[in-house]
Amino acid sequence: MGWVARALAGPTLWAVLFSVVYALHGTGCNLGWTDRSVLFTDLHHAAMWVAWGLGLVLHGALVVTMPKGQEGRRRWIIVAGAWIGLVSSVFTLFPVIATSTCF
Amino acid sequence: MTDATHSGTASGVLPDGTAIDRADIATNPPQRALHLHRELDRVWADLPGWRGFFTSVNHGTIGLRFMATSFVFFAIGGVLAMLIRAQLATREGAFLDTDLYNQIFTMHGTIMMFLFAIPMLEGLGLWLLPKILGARDMAFPRLSALGYFCYLFGGSVIVLSLLFGVAPDDGWFMYTPLSDRTHSPGVNADVWLLGVTFVEISAMAAAVEITVTILRCRAAHMPLTRMPLMGWYLLGTSVMMLVGFPPLILGSILLEVQRAFDWPFFDVARGGDPLLWQHLFWLFGHPEVYIIFLPAAGALSTIIPVLSRTTILGYGAIVAAIIGLVFLSFGLWVHHMFTVGIPHMALAFFSAASALVAVPTAVQIFAWIGTMWDGKVQMRLPMLYVMGFFATFVMGGLTGVMLAMVPFNWQAHDTAFVTAHLHYVLIGGFVFPMLAAVTYWMPLICGRWRIRGLGEAAFWLILIGFHGTFFLMHLTGLLGMPRRIDVYPGNPEWEWLNLTSSVFGMIQSAGFALFAFDIIMQWLFGRRSWRNPWKAPTLDWAMPVPSPSYNFASLPGPRQPDADAILPLARGEGLLPGAPRGLRETLVVEPASGRPQHVAVLATNTALPVLTSAAIGSFFGAMLLGFYWLAPLGILATIIVAWRWGAIMGSTEDRAPAQVAPDLHLPLHFQVRNTLALTGAVALLVGDATLYASLLFGVGFLTVVAPGWPAPPSGLEMPVLVAGLAAVAAMAVGSVAARLAEANRARPSGHLWTLVGTGMAVLALVMLGVVAMGLDDPTRHARDALRGVVVGFAVAHGVIAGLLALRSHLDHRQGRVGANRYGAIPGWRLFQDFWLATSAISLAVVLAQEVL
Ligand SMILES: [Cu+2]
Repeated sequence: MGWVARALAGPTLWAVLFSVVYALHGTGCNLGWTDRSVLFTDLHHAAMWVAWGLGLVLHGALVVTMPKGQEGRRRWIIVAGAWIGLVSSVFTLFPVIATSTCF
Repeated sequence: MTDATHSGTASGVLPDGTAIDRADIATNPPQRALHLHRELDRVWADLPGWRGFFTSVNHGTIGLRFMATSFVFFAIGGVLAMLIRAQLATREGAFLDTDLYNQIFTMHGTIMMFLFAIPMLEGLGLWLLPKILGARDMAFPRLSALGYFCYLFGGSVIVLSLLFGVAPDDGWFMYTPLSDRTHSPGVNADVWLLGVTFVEISAMAAAVEITVTILRCRAAHMPLTRMPLMGWYLLGTSVMMLVGFPPLILGSILLEVQRAFDWPFFDVARGGDPLLWQHLFWLFGHPEVYIIFLPAAGALSTIIPVLSRTTILGYGAIVAAIIGLVFLSFGLWVHHMFTVGIPHMALAFFSAASALVAVPTAVQIFAWIGTMWDGKVQMRLPMLYVMGFFATFVMGGLTGVMLAMVPFNWQAHDTAFVTAHLHYVLIGGFVFPMLAAVTYWMPLICGRWRIRGLGEAAFWLILIGFHGTFFLMHLTGLLGMPRRIDVYPGNPEWEWLNLTSSVFGMIQSAGFALFAFDIIMQWLFGRRSWRNPWKAPTLDWAMPVPSPSYNFASLPGPRQPDADAILPLARGEGLLPGAPRGLRETLVVEPASGRPQHVAVLATNTALPVLTSAAIGSFFGAMLLGFYWLAPLGILATIIVAWRWGAIMGSTEDRAPAQVAPDLHLPLHFQVRNTLALTGAVALLVGDATLYASLLFGVGFLTVVAPGWPAPPSGLEMPVLVAGLAAVAAMAVGSVAARLAEANRARPSGHLWTLVGTGMAVLALVMLGVVAMGLDDPTRHARDALRGVVVGFAVAHGVIAGLLALRSHLDHRQGRVGANRYGAIPGWRLFQDFWLATSAISLAVVLAQEVL
C-alpha cells in the first residue's frame, strides 16, 4: 500500500488542513478571538494563518519527498497527487488572508 | 498491459505468512473447454427455479437484478416526473392538490437518487468488476445478495407508501424543522428516514465489496497503476460511498430519534440547530453527485477508446483527476447552503473549492476529446449516447460554475434554474453514460445483438426531449420561478415556458419507453452476438457471450492480460483452471502490485442473505409502525441470523494448498491471516469511523454555532465518570486479550484469552449501562441527547465486539483455529481496538465539556 499512500498524501493533507482551518474559524468566532490582538492582527486570523502556513510547508515537503524511488506512471501519479493537494490548499484557503471573519 | 510482469520478481513469504511467487508464471496444460465448462457450471450456477431467486449469491445474477430493479424504479420515478410536468403545464394546475404534489416531487427525487442512481451503479459495479478485473466473483457474494434484498424491501416500502397516501412530502432533502414531529406529524417522514436508511445498508455493503474486490481480486500481476480505468473510477466511487454515506445515515438516525423519542438535536429551543441537518445532509449530498458521476465517467473511459479504435489518452492524468475529485468533492457541501447565513469567510472557502473542482472534471473531458481526436470515431449506438453526454454534461458543468459564485447563487437560489442545472448534471453525467454502458455491454449480458434502428430513434427522442424540457427551465428560473411550487396564478409569463417544457418532457419519456422496448426486443429476438463484437481489449470480453456463471474457465495471469486470451483461458491455460475441489475459488492478490497471495473460497448458494435482510427489515418495520417496544426483537433476530454468517466460514482442518499453475501452489484462505474478510473489515471500519467523526462534528457544530448554549449544568456524578473510566479500562484489557489470544491460538491455553475478552466485553457493557443510567434526561438539551447517542454508539460496538470475542472463543473450542488458522480472532481484534479508541475519545470529549 506504500504507493497508494504516497499518491494520496497530498490530497489527504488538504482535507486535514481544510477541516482544521474551518474548525478554527468556527471556534474562534465562538470564543471571541477576533477581539484579542496578536502582533499586527487578531488571534483569530493569526491562528488560521499559522495553521495554513504550516500546512503549506508540509505540502511543499510532500512535493519534494514523495516521488522518491518511483518511476514511470507510478511517479507521475504521485507527483500529480502532491501538486493537487498543494494547489487545493493554496486556492481554497486563501480567503484567510483577506476576508472579514465572523459575518 | 503486456508488461504487467515488470513489477518485482521476488519470491518468498510475506510477514503475515502468505506466499508470494515470482511473476513469470508458466501456463497450465490445455484441457477440453467443454469439460471445464461443465465442471465449473456445476459449482457456480444458481439453483433452478424460484429457489434460485432467494439463494443466488452470484455477482452476475445479483448485478443484473440490481440493474433491472433500478430501471423499474426509474420508470416509476419517470411517471411521477410526468405528473409534475402535467401539473406545471398550466398556471392553475388543477391536476393535483398541494398535498399530493408535495408527495410526488419528494418521491420523484428520492426514487431517482436512492432507488435508481445508486443501485444502478452498484449493479453495474457488481456485474462488471470481476469480469473486467479477471476474477470469478466479487469478494463477498453473500453481501451482494444481502444488499439486493435490503434494497428491494426498503425500496418497495417507500414506493408502496405512495399508494397509501403516506409518502414522504418534505422534499428529498428532508430539511428540519419542516420534517420534525411538529411540522410533519404523520408517518410520511418516517417512511423516508427508515426506508432510505434501510436502502443505504445496501449501499454500504456494495461500497465495502467493491473496494475489496478492486484492491484484492484482480488478475495476477495486474498492478493498480495498470488496471483498466473503470477499476480506478469504481474504486473512487466506493471510497466516496464509504465516507459519504455515513453522515446521512447519522443524520437520519438523529432525526428519527428526535421524531420517535423527542431528543432535541434539531430543536433550537433546547440547544439543537436545524442547520446541523443541512450540514449532515449535504456532507453526503454533494459527494453524492460525484458518487453518481464517477462510474458513469468510468463507462465513458472504457467505451470511448474502443469505439474510437485507439487507446485512452493520459491514463496517469485521469487517475490523478479521480484522486483530486474524490477529495475535493468533500470540501464543497456548503455551496448548497450559501443563503442560510454562513460567515463570509466560510462562503469564500467553499466557493473557491466549488470552482476548483471543475479542474479535474475538465482534465477528464479533455482526455476524452483528445482520445476521440487521436482515433477514428465510429458513430455506433453507444457512441451516440457518449455524444449526448458531451452535449449535456458540459453545459451542466458551466451552470455549476455559475452557481458556485456566491452573488449569482443568491439570485438563482431555489429557482427552476437550479432544477435545470441539476438535471443537466445528473442526466448528462449519469443517465446518458449509463445508457451508453447498457447498449455497449448488452451483448455480454444476453448474448444477443440488437435490432437496427430502434435504439437510434430512442436516442434522438431522449436527446431532443431532454434539452427541450430543461434548457427552457434555465429561462423559467431566471424569470424567478421558484422550485417546488404547484401553482403560479399571478405569473402568466412563466406559462408558455412551462407548457413547452411539459410537451418536450412527454417526448423524452417516450424516448425512455422506446429504449426499454429496444432492450427487451434485443433480449428476446436479437440474433446471436459473436464474441467481442466491439473488438475491445479489456478482459470482460475474454469470455463467451453471454458471460458464463464463473466468468473465466481459468483466470488471467501475466500471460493472459487482455481480451485476446479468450481461447487459452477457455482451454484452462490460465491460473486455477476448473473447479477440482468442487469449491467456488478465486485468486486473491496483493493490493498494489497484484502479486498472487492466496486462493479465496467463496460462499455458495444460500438463503442466509434474504433471511438477514428480513430480520433487519423487521426492526425497521417495527420502528415505522411505532411499535418501539418490538424493535429490539428485530435487532435480536438480526444478531441471531448474523451469527450464522460466521458459522459457515473457517475450517476445522489444515487444507492442502491449491495448484494455481504448474509451479505455483497457494494456500486456501482458511490458512492465511490477511483474508478478504479482514480487508473488508478495515473498509467497513473506515465507514464506521466516518460515522463517528460526523457525530463529533455534530457535537462541535452545536457547541460552537447553535443558539441555546451553554447547556444547563450537568448532573453527572462522580460514580458515572468512574464507571466510564472502568468501561474504557475493560475495553483496553479486551484489546490486550485479543492480541494474546492470537499469539496463543495454537496452544490449548489460548481459549483462556478469548474467554477473558468475552468477559471484558460483558463487563464494559455493564459499566456502559451504569453510565447510561446516570446521564441527564436526553430530552432536556441537545448536549444531553448527544451524550446519549455517544453511549449508544459505544454500546452497539460493544455488542459486536463481544459477539466476535465469543465467536473466537467457540472457534477455539471447535478446533477452527491453529498454527495456520486464525478463525475470527483478527476481526475481533480490529473491532475491539476500534471500540476502545472511539470510547476513549468519547470519554475525553465529555470530560472536556465538563472541565471547560
Ligand atoms: Cu453540490
